[in-house]
Amino acid sequence: MTATTQAQPTAPATASRATVPASAQRARKRARRGQLAACAVLMAPFFALLVTVFLIPVGTAIYLSFFSDDQPGLGFGPERTIFVGLRSYAAVLTDPTFLSGLATVALYCLIYIPLMVIGALALALLLDSGVVRLRAWAQLGLFLPHAVPGIIAALIWLYLYTPGISPVIDLFAKADITIDFLGIHTVLPSIVNIALWSNLGYNMVVFYAALQAVPREVIEASVVDGAGPVRTALQVKTPLVRTSIVMVAIFTLIWALQLFTEPMLLSQSSPMINSRFSPSMYIYDAAFTRNNYSLAAAASVVLLVCTIALSYGVTRWTSRANTPEETAR
Amino acid sequence: MPGRRNPRRRSRRSVLTAMAALPLAGTVNACSGGADSAARATGGKVTRITFWSALRGSQEVVDAFNSTHDSIQVDYQQVPSGGQGGYAKLSNAARAGNAPDVATIEYPQVPGFAIDGVARDLTSMVTDELRAKLLPQALGLTTFEQRVFSVPLDVEPMVMHYRADLFAEHGFEVPGTWAEFEELARAVRRKLPGRRLVLFPTDGGTQFAAYSWQAGAQWFDTAGGAWNVSLADAPTRRVAAYWQRLIDEDLVFVNAVESRQSDAQIADGLVLTRLTGAWEAGAQMKARPAQAGQWRIAPLPQWEIGRPSVGTHGGSTFAVTKDSRHPEAALEFIAWQVSHPDALRARLSSGTSSQYPAASALVTVGREAFDRTYYGNQDIYTLFEEEAHKIRDGWVWGPRFTATQRVMQDNFARVGGGQGSLIDSVRAAQDGTMPDLKALGLATTQHST
Repeated sequence: MTATTQAQPTAPATASRATVPASAQRARKRARRGQLAACAVLMAPFFALLVTVFLIPVGTAIYLSFFSDDQPGLGFGPERTIFVGLRSYAAVLTDPTFLSGLATVALYCLIYIPLMVIGALALALLLDSGVVRLRAWAQLGLFLPHAVPGIIAALIWLYLYTPGISPVIDLFAKADITIDFLGIHTVLPSIVNIALWSNLGYNMVVFYAALQAVPREVIEASVVDGAGPVRTALQVKTPLVRTSIVMVAIFTLIWALQLFTEPMLLSQSSPMINSRFSPSMYIYDAAFTRNNYSLAAAASVVLLVCTIALSYGVTRWTSRANTPEETAR
Repeated sequence: MPGRRNPRRRSRRSVLTAMAALPLAGTVNACSGGADSAARATGGKVTRITFWSALRGSQEVVDAFNSTHDSIQVDYQQVPSGGQGGYAKLSNAARAGNAPDVATIEYPQVPGFAIDGVARDLTSMVTDELRAKLLPQALGLTTFEQRVFSVPLDVEPMVMHYRADLFAEHGFEVPGTWAEFEELARAVRRKLPGRRLVLFPTDGGTQFAAYSWQAGAQWFDTAGGAWNVSLADAPTRRVAAYWQRLIDEDLVFVNAVESRQSDAQIADGLVLTRLTGAWEAGAQMKARPAQAGQWRIAPLPQWEIGRPSVGTHGGSTFAVTKDSRHPEAALEFIAWQVSHPDALRARLSSGTSSQYPAASALVTVGREAFDRTYYGNQDIYTLFEEEAHKIRDGWVWGPRFTATQRVMQDNFARVGGGQGSLIDSVRAAQDGTMPDLKALGLATTQHST
């Protein structure tokens, strides 16, 4: 069963190591060299991009976080670049505004990730079960918001959330319900709502694609065994797309930790979103309002480490969770 | 997996995949346009300098300068005001090495730009003659370690703008002390439900600083070669408690002043006084011509009648940046701008400015050039002059005040939403400032509780 769900690229068969004539060996060597060259050419763009848009910036950030243009005392003297050790990290980690940003994002993840994963999976299962008519249109409709750039999405929702211009708030008001989407307690759910709207369709497609790979004979077997559609969905199909669930969860986590666009735009309309609302906004503020590049770099590295640690944690946790099950099988 | 797809389905999926790639190409970030400072130094005798400002009437001033000077010509570029992106633009330009010759910096941001090396040390260039012309309290705000980093243009004592028509109609007296002000706030709420005496601006970090300044606070000082930070000192606690009481008893509006809500409060006559710098008179004339004749200006209420003092709110300075290739010419333009009568006349001719010049000799010029009809012929410049001399000496702005102020305002906004208190906001601002200063490598100490 497991073999059918994994689509692994088949490695080129390596030749047997039996003794062969010298000429053949030379020809093979030449072929291998050709293969290596092709490999290098094909992989070069990837590595070039990896180095220029990832490794160099990360290296620069790490450098910036350990060095600083210092002027001693009041700071009016001439600048000199010195190694400052962990000073910037100490500053970031003792900054209550950064820590509250981390707490905000943690809360956001706690609300957003389960809603996203469960919501997208439920929609995919519904589409897959054949209950839905006009499946193609439903899929397209759900997916379309993802094609809207994040900044445009935030603008649309900004319009819908802002009192005075929002038709939604007007409608509620007609029903005698006052609702403030940008209040102290509602602002985070409002941001979650934007993110859900944008990404639900995309993850739904991921799940739907994974569900297509579930062998029909397994479904038939469960139907023959007397499982209803709900039971089939939850106990047969869902476990079979677990790898996709983990993948979606990790991608959603990484994306959520970098929360920036939505709160940045909404902050224009809501004083409840401050300039250091999320770690990414803190980094932006540190670099461009406070002109404190060391601090911004240190905060970026802290965020990167948190992201890597959490992603690794999720991977480890899920692989450990499924090992006993598999061994039991 | 691929073998299981029927062709129709696969094609649909590839469409979806293509669409998934679309948003990546979506947003293109607009860069804040670099300075066109290439047009300098045209050879010959004419020295061209660039000048960035968001101040009202700057174009008129530059035109007046250019028409009376041959050897120096100024290229004026209007930039967004500091908080709206002007400061970010200046920082970025300085980072790229193409800052303008002359930049406009408000007092609270002077130490920050000085520390960052954007504003040049002008100490040796500023003549004694120019020094003597400027109000000492103003020059004190741009001087650190006996070094002058920018030249004050205007200094703006806090004053009270009030609706004289509504005061007269309802028999309200102009309050002279904060105690009277509080009583009046109660009377207004009692007599005119729906209206309030004043707004507590949740985006008003600088207003709150001015109230504290007046009460004797010293948020920052530089004694002993370190930035000593004490935002929540005793005078500030007193001011915070006072405004907290007005907020708790619902005697004031609590919202942002830079907002449509506040515009409506002023335009509809819902708010009876405005506590801001002297410059507000010009802004008010420009923004609400229909209210001509309704407003007058009075001194800010005092804590103690016998020992009057005020803080300032607003006011700008001119700095020569590190990138200037003609610092002498730049300073000559600055000196003309801050101390020549023609400069002030030109600025006031725009009809949108009521700046109070830091060069005291210009006050008479302002008095004559300012169109008094909007304020019912009140001689507001004489009032400003009296108030300017009450500015408490010794106030120091912090090295990252924009950030300090933002954290404070973020918390003020929560107070407006019913969470936290003003003094907590002030403490949060201090807590949010210290890591910043430490990461900059500055020597710091913390005081106050």
